[in-house]
Amino acid sequence: MRRPINKKGNILTQNIIFIVLNLVFLLILVLFLVSKSGGAAVLEEKYAKQMALILDSVEPGMVISLNMEDAIKIANKENRDLDDVIDVQDNIVTVQLREKGGYSYSFFNDIDYGNDFSIYLNTSSRKEYIIFIEP
Amino acid sequence: MIKNNKGEKIISIYWFVILFIVAAAVVYMVISFYGEPYDIRELEANALTNKVAMCLSNAGYLEEGVLGADFKENFIERCSFNFETEDIYGWGERGQYYVEINFYDFLTDQKNSTIKTGNEALKTDCGLEGKGFPFCLERSLYLLDGEKNHKYQIDILSIVRKTEKNVQ
Repeated sequence: MRRPINKKGNILTQNIIFIVLNLVFLLILVLFLVSKSGGAAVLEEKYAKQMALILDSVEPGMVISLNMEDAIKIANKENRDLDDVIDVQDNIVTVQLREKGGYSYSFFNDIDYGNDFSIYLNTSSRKEYIIFIEP
Repeated sequence: MIKNNKGEKIISIYWFVILFIVAAAVVYMVISFYGEPYDIRELEANALTNKVAMCLSNAGYLEEGVLGADFKENFIERCSFNFETEDIYGWGERGQYYVEINFYDFLTDQKNSTIKTGNEALKTDCGLEGKGFPFCLERSLYLLDGEKNHKYQIDILSIVRKTEKNVQ
């Protein structure tokens, strides 16, 4: 059965509403995906584990640079002091990007923070942390 | 719900049901993907094995005193290991690492010496399939004893548990 043509242009309006609603729906999904994949908790875990693996494998005299731009952006948003983002107690490294948060992971290499190695923010780029192992 | 003049449903309740199902599926998949922790135990076990191998060897030769009783007793200190972990999930009482090194005479295949350190109970879970079990890695290397001119095959078993932080 043929539909009568709507001379007032209702079909066009309906199509526009339909497309706009679809786009809004897609936008919400994309925002959800982005917020989940770049969330503070995910980054804290990622960098704590990465840091632990680096410290497990280091040798005397090594200087390692770890780019943490995405984590630093979040820490800045949360007004965290960038010197407090990474903390090492005994053989447990903690990355904390928020006031209420943080992720800790242990490493098995018996190296002493402060004596055998140090971790500090690269002050020129402010995007990466430098892990310096004493020779 | 939007209707045109003649009452035809343009965006019906079914459309919203479909939207809801798609959104729920995407949310479920994203949460299950990003909710899963990064499993780095294989990398840890590899690093552990490499560190053990580097501690035992020196340019293809067995490090001096490795087969002695003193090295065996003080293996942790001599190789600079610290197997302490975070005191959560009961890890404080239950070690999360285990290392076993077996020295075999390369020609006779006879076991010469064994070094064990860490939580030996983890060894029983090796080879079992499932999420809650530790990661086990076995590697072998060949070394020469410069003094006695012996050849050794050294089997290193490295086990990392840390299941709660790597598998869900």
